[in-house]
Amino acid sequence: MSFILTYRPLFDLICIYTVLAYSQYVALRAGLFSLATPGFASIGGYAGAILLKETSLGPVLSAIGAILCGVAAGLILSLPLARLRGAFQSIATIGFVQIMVSLALYAQPLTGGPLGMNAIPKVAGATVLVPILIVLAALLAVINRTGIGRAFDAIRQDYTVAMSLGISVSRYFRYAFALSGAIGALGGCLLAFNTYSIQPDVFGFPMLVLVIAAVILGGRSMVAGPLVGTAFLIILPELIRPLADARLLLQGLLLILVIIYLPQGIVDSLSHRWKLRRAGNGTRGAEGKGAHELPSA
Amino acid sequence: MLAQQLLNGLVVGAVYALFSLGLTLVFGMHRILNLAHGAVFMWGAFIGYFAVTLGGLPLWAAFIIAVIGAGMVSVALDLFVFRPLRRHQGDEFGTIVASIGANLILMQLAQQATNAQTLRFPFGIFPVVFFNLPGMRISLQQIVILAAVAVIVLGLLFFLFRTSLGSEARAVAVNEQTAMLLGVNPGKVYFASFFIAGMLAGAAGVILGIAFNSVTYVMGEAVMLQAFVVIVLGGLGSVLGAVLAGIVIGMIQTLTTAYISTELSDAVVFGLLFIVLLIRPNGFFSGIHTEYRVA
Repeated sequence: MSFILTYRPLFDLICIYTVLAYSQYVALRAGLFSLATPGFASIGGYAGAILLKETSLGPVLSAIGAILCGVAAGLILSLPLARLRGAFQSIATIGFVQIMVSLALYAQPLTGGPLGMNAIPKVAGATVLVPILIVLAALLAVINRTGIGRAFDAIRQDYTVAMSLGISVSRYFRYAFALSGAIGALGGCLLAFNTYSIQPDVFGFPMLVLVIAAVILGGRSMVAGPLVGTAFLIILPELIRPLADARLLLQGLLLILVIIYLPQGIVDSLSHRWKLRRAGNGTRGAEGKGAHELPSA
Repeated sequence: MLAQQLLNGLVVGAVYALFSLGLTLVFGMHRILNLAHGAVFMWGAFIGYFAVTLGGLPLWAAFIIAVIGAGMVSVALDLFVFRPLRRHQGDEFGTIVASIGANLILMQLAQQATNAQTLRFPFGIFPVVFFNLPGMRISLQQIVILAAVAVIVLGLLFFLFRTSLGSEARAVAVNEQTAMLLGVNPGKVYFASFFIAGMLAGAAGVILGIAFNSVTYVMGEAVMLQAFVVIVLGGLGSVLGAVLAGIVIGMIQTLTTAYISTELSDAVVFGLLFIVLLIRPNGFFSGIHTEYRVA
């Protein structure tokens, strides 16, 4: 029991960062090269905190307000970016993250500037976070099985083919931006509602690296991927204390090694292997078919 | 006042151009968006700083060592990060992710080597001389920076368009497979382009480190963000575009800092980025590549 109590903040952190990783996951799954998640989280975090503290809306409506702000931000970003190719999306979304940090620093009366917002009521403990995470994961799993999910898969694998199949790439990119914005804002809002205070530099480059590393490490197609990746990245430095100082160094090294040697991520590679073995146990003919199937949730 | 600000913007912009050239060159040729380019720049500044303080070298020698050192850091990036990725059929997104990781590693190493302190070049490393012109004052430092950038850019153009390795590099930029069929060794071209990109970044690093008299492990981040706007405005892969856009961005940044607000200058520059992406995503100068849209 004491073990659970000691690690309770860590558990909350894993839940929150998994939500943020899902925002990144939606973008990557749709073939977007977006790195905008910390920017969405910043919008959601500040919007949620301001609504909760300054108005009498209550936590649920504040969170919904924050999510709507995130959707709006995603749709605005998608105006120039939904019709552009990969590298441009990365460049512009990194810029977006930077603008959000400088705006949060600049808009001192609203955001508290560099000191950030403090004394935010803690309304999102583990009992709130876990159900939200479960619902979100279920929602994403459902989306993956609908036409939208299949369109995302097609675009990610080859957008020229997707276009030739009659999929409007820019429309699905727009959906992905809006969804990523909504989830990112929810994550930022939960962070604000859980940790009592937020500062502009929380939503900067370290968050960007953490969420992208979590998704790459865990896997980009199955819903369990981001959860595994986030848990791994947050728990590992705690287990091996000497590593805690070199956490960022380790994350950088992991990013490089995983993208080179395990580009599908842990969960997707395992499920792929499992499917292959199952196909091997069946008829010989099924083996070849299984090998070409890409893992999907 | 305005003329003075424009001059200051021109000098800063020339350095941005120098930095962005390496980024745009590597992207234009190999479709690699190297997000660790800012870290190479920072390492160039560090090597220059330590060559002066620990090595006791004169500035010109430290500059040459820093430029070559940064070139080697950049080549090491290609060897240890991008080449294994190419061998494992990594895609464009893979290179972006790997370069984020490389950036993190290079920055952490520099942070731990310096305990996150701001380093300053010894005072008077560059003679402080000013010339009065009508309406403005120009320092010897600014003149040398402008001259150095001009020489480096001309050298780059000479390399790309007047040497055989340059034409091999441009052939790889058009199509790597076809270039290989014609007997071009892509390994050599990758080496050359990463080395040149690193040298450009290193030169920019030493120059900015001296001009602002501050060398820190985060100095690459800010320049990287300006360079994003420069390469999009100039067209990804365009040499001339990067130079002109660099100067334009330098001037806009100096003017917003002088007349509006320091904190907002980032937001203004990035607002510009989004406007350019909205109305003219391929930049204002056609690059080596023109395919940029999905639909």
